[in-house]
Amino acid sequence: MMGLGSVSSSLLLLGQAAQVQQVPAASLSVQGMAPAWAFWILSVLTVVGALSTILRRNLIGAVMSMVATFFGIASLYALLSAHFLAAIQVLVYAGAIMVLFVFVIMVLNREEAEPWALRSPVIKALGTGSLVYLAVRLGEMLLSPKAGVLQTAGHPSGEYGTVASIGDYFFTKFLFPFEAISILLVIAVIGAVVLARTVAKPTSVHEAGAAPLPSSNGDGDDAAADASHGGH
Amino acid sequence: MQQFWQNMSVISTEHFLILGVVLFAIGVFGVFLRRNALITLMSIELILNAANLTLLAFARAQQDMRGQALALLVIAVAAAEAAIGLAIVVGVFRNRHNTNLDDLTLLRY
Repeated sequence: MMGLGSVSSSLLLLGQAAQVQQVPAASLSVQGMAPAWAFWILSVLTVVGALSTILRRNLIGAVMSMVATFFGIASLYALLSAHFLAAIQVLVYAGAIMVLFVFVIMVLNREEAEPWALRSPVIKALGTGSLVYLAVRLGEMLLSPKAGVLQTAGHPSGEYGTVASIGDYFFTKFLFPFEAISILLVIAVIGAVVLARTVAKPTSVHEAGAAPLPSSNGDGDDAAADASHGGH
Repeated sequence: MQQFWQNMSVISTEHFLILGVVLFAIGVFGVFLRRNALITLMSIELILNAANLTLLAFARAQQDMRGQALALLVIAVAAAEAAIGLAIVVGVFRNRHNTNLDDLTLLRY
């Protein structure tokens, strides 16, 4: 519990440190950083989607809630003048990662016997206590008179958030992280292929009587067939 | 009360930070509450997105593009993590016919 408090207070401190470097007060916008209605609608969509992601038993439903959450987050990025990142968020999360999750869920279609990991009442009490503490602290922040203190400069400069300025950073100051991330992605692709490759091994108990399939590309089909048997 | 309505109608950096905290907390609760490995991976994605939201909020507050560049790196790492994590889940499922995290206790103690 102390951890959450210290995290939120250190966030506040960071923000106040950020304020020191800001532009003079004359250019502070009365409107804030974003249209209020857009922020509230998108944040409600995001929070409800996130809650639905972790609470649903149906895995496909959970993935679709996650996609709704990511669309909400992408729109919030756009509110923060990060248009390129909003597009990338939709492409990467709502495109690639969602397809990966759906594919794996289709392959491993198993019903959960008991989805909740909560057993002991002590853990439940701790979790409830930390949740209440978090809610109280967040409500306090929203209600406190200091809450508007971080309100920042109205409109960013014309180059902020454009693809050109991001590319400028990536090919000058962030060149090493950029190259490192490309190496990381290559390693991840090779690692995923190695991990998910079908290994020549005796077929499972379920498939012992079935006709043997070609070893390449066969295991995924086996698992899917398994799942359909189990589902019925 | 008037302060409350003003806080509701003027969106500042703090609002985005609070939303980031809420998303982070939902992700952490997802990791702790569910036994399914796939839901745990999705919760980790939520946590990374909350961190990204915080980064972008501070970048916007400081008018500094470095935050956005860092957020793009975080997205790339999240994509790599999802690919590797799902490959591991598929591998575990092949061997154990199960993705229940509480049952994977072979390396415990």
